[in-house]
Amino acid sequence: MMESLQTDPAGTGMRSEASGEEGRSPRAETPGTDEPHTGWRHGTVVAGVRWKNPVGTASGTFNLAACGRYYDVSAMGAISTKGVSPVPWEGNPTPRTAETPCGTVNAVGLQNPGVEHYLIDELPKLKALGATVVTNVAGHSDDDYAQVVARLADSPADMLEINVSCPNVSHGGMSVGTDPLALFRLIGRLRSISDKPMVVKLSPNVTDIVEIAKACVDAGADALSLINTLVGMRLDINTGKPILANNTGGVSGPCILPIALSFVWRVRQALPNIPIIGIGGISKGEDALEFLYAGANAVEVGAASLLDPVAPLRVAHELESLLDSRPQLAEKLEKGMAW
Amino acid sequence: MDTREYGEVGAKRRQGKTMNSASHDVHADDGGAFLMPRHSAKILSVRELAPGITHLVLEDAYVARHAAAGQFINLYTNDPTRMMPRPFGVSAVEGDAITLIFAVVGSGTLDFSRLRAGDSIDVLGPLGRGFDMSRSARYVLVGGGLGIPPLLYAAQQLMARSDADSLALLGYRDIRYADSTASRYCDAVRSIDESEGNVITLLNRHLGGLDGDECGEGKSGETIILSCGPHPMMKAVAQWASAHAIPSQLSLEARMGCGFGSCVACVEDTVEGRKKVCMDGPVFTADELGWAV
Repeated sequence: MMESLQTDPAGTGMRSEASGEEGRSPRAETPGTDEPHTGWRHGTVVAGVRWKNPVGTASGTFNLAACGRYYDVSAMGAISTKGVSPVPWEGNPTPRTAETPCGTVNAVGLQNPGVEHYLIDELPKLKALGATVVTNVAGHSDDDYAQVVARLADSPADMLEINVSCPNVSHGGMSVGTDPLALFRLIGRLRSISDKPMVVKLSPNVTDIVEIAKACVDAGADALSLINTLVGMRLDINTGKPILANNTGGVSGPCILPIALSFVWRVRQALPNIPIIGIGGISKGEDALEFLYAGANAVEVGAASLLDPVAPLRVAHELESLLDSRPQLAEKLEKGMAW
Repeated sequence: MDTREYGEVGAKRRQGKTMNSASHDVHADDGGAFLMPRHSAKILSVRELAPGITHLVLEDAYVARHAAAGQFINLYTNDPTRMMPRPFGVSAVEGDAITLIFAVVGSGTLDFSRLRAGDSIDVLGPLGRGFDMSRSARYVLVGGGLGIPPLLYAAQQLMARSDADSLALLGYRDIRYADSTASRYCDAVRSIDESEGNVITLLNRHLGGLDGDECGEGKSGETIILSCGPHPMMKAVAQWASAHAIPSQLSLEARMGCGFGSCVACVEDTVEGRKKVCMDGPVFTADELGWAV
């Protein structure tokens, strides 16, 4: 009998406040508890990969060592990990974050320990826990992306997510993701390296998202995730200077929800069949449902996870209840179709 | 859902010694259980301790049970448009009552200063790696300004120990708001304000052997400095300590995005690269920071 179950009597995958300090109820003897089960009623399929439920964590807002202490990460639909680069990146100087009404502006600059560390440390641990893993790939150049994808090609990662939309790095990132020709070339090259289901994470900092989306699909992308953060900034009115050391950063949080919805909806109207992971300002089940109605096959929770570590799992539970009363939508998701 | 797998891995992870082994991966008494997520706590009292400085007490049995000195908690304002956490070092724990002492420096802290007894507020924590006070030693608590509150909790915990002494050396801009509290817990308290000098003045005076070590050697021969205050002050303290062959632990302040290790916003350069202040710290040794001379 594992200790961890004792403060999770409701089987939600996280500590329940009601379980209290002293009131840990011994778990009822349940036959067959050696068989792992997830208990989710409504899954989804993204580019052939089944998610236990339609809610994942958004890249850059999940760290196993941090979040795994708060909830059962394998219970998530998928875990999209922090962008990995070919070599360790030390990221931007601080300050890296600023507040804005209903959101945050961040410029971390993809600090990460590199793909070799990821392959030894984070990915095996996530897979051992039973998580569905979307590995986010970062680079300063086409060669960087190609190198990381090659290293991940025969890894246990379930999906790759090509991050061509980070607004906070000087080369690569958004500079690739806003140029349809450059993007077509890059995704085509990566496609030739790996057969793994490949998601391209799109930037909203473009004039025509549909043109960008089509370039990815034409180059062989299996799915799209959108949106990454919007470029923004805050200034300190006492000093007259930008708050972020990087001057500008990426805006996330509930303030971007309506913008993100419009991007998902536009791409879905133009591309009826491409799997879409909807991202942007989701903090409750209703928000996630709104993205599904806009045309997403799945969603990811980002900034909300930074305000409460268990937010993604809570959203998943809330969406589960909402899907109970929407059997047609739930059925479509199970078949890999969007609304 | 089944959490067995996490429980096993969590338990294994706890066996591993890391840079954070002191008090960060805490709650060993909980076995492999998950940590408490963000939750609501009741405000017991809010008062102005000194002009611009708020003394806030909230009721939180979980934090009270688990908080180590040097750890912090996140508070979230009740204004839903202000989303980011405000981290505060725990200043005292009495029963289930948690004391925080902070200056009103912006909209968030202004919101907190206006709370009243009976209000509720969201809390996450305790967070981070606190001070390592495992050794039998004389602990010298070197605090500056609004960095003093976490040291008061360290003093409170040391008071209960028969194998440790505490000497507080406190530097203020003007109002010596924490001296009376520190006097309740510490074996000796010496303070100074800007008109006279700073904590380095105090270190030279009371620990540097210039005027004799009037505060005594303590029960054990070993001296350890625990410090919290402005960044430049702590660097100076670390260098002073290093020059006097005294180990020091520094509790850093940083602008945080999450407070529990996910967002990588609050990094500090260390000899092992950029570390997260919220999770790898906020307490680092001078050696880890490369601040020793």
